[in-house]
Amino acid sequence: MRNRLKVLRAERDWSQADLADALGVSRQTINAIETGKYDPSLPLALRIGRLMVQSVEEMFFLDDAGGPSRVTPAAKGKK
Amino acid sequence: MPDTVRNERLSDVWGYAAFFGWAAVYIGARLILELETLDWRTRAVVAIVPVPLFAWVLWNVSRGIGQMDELQRRIQLEALALAFPLTLLLLMTLGLMELAIGLNPNDWSYRHVWPFVFLFYLAGLIRAKRRYE
Repeated sequence: MRNRLKVLRAERDWSQADLADALGVSRQTINAIETGKYDPSLPLALRIGRLMVQSVEEMFFLDDAGGPSRVTPAAKGKK
Repeated sequence: MPDTVRNERLSDVWGYAAFFGWAAVYIGARLILELETLDWRTRAVVAIVPVPLFAWVLWNVSRGIGQMDELQRRIQLEALALAFPLTLLLLMTLGLMELAIGLNPNDWSYRHVWPFVFLFYLAGLIRAKRRYE
């Protein structure tokens, strides 16, 4: 699984330690998630999403998915 | 200093105190038990003294793991996942070797074997930590 956590964090000018403190986890955990060595649990992913104001699908995606979820709000509305 | 940070540091201090307290008492007990002059009752009491201290160490370790985040807990689990089978392997091998050739209790008694369990755990911990660095 890949993710955009590093990009999202950089956009907010947060350090790994800042993000770790905000989420109540260790900096090593943030680093492991960013480098793809560790996939967070669903509760942690949701907490990251809440902090980043992003859905989980917009931040995390499978290796073969090619990138963030392509489901747009407009597409969601058509369902 | 926030209360949570202060409490964590206090918890760390108690954890180290428990470990070093147990280590000192354990070494003292080992040295005393090497003496042949004590009667069996005294020897039994001396042998039991480190036990509650070690229970205190284990309680601190357990509490520490409870305060870890999910990755840290996973690292602990992976460390134990290596240490546990290695311990089984060691005990099984020693048991068979004891049957086969008769091991010298002065070389392979419980007091010599149990530190290996700790070493296996440390090896597992180092391996797991490296995996997520």
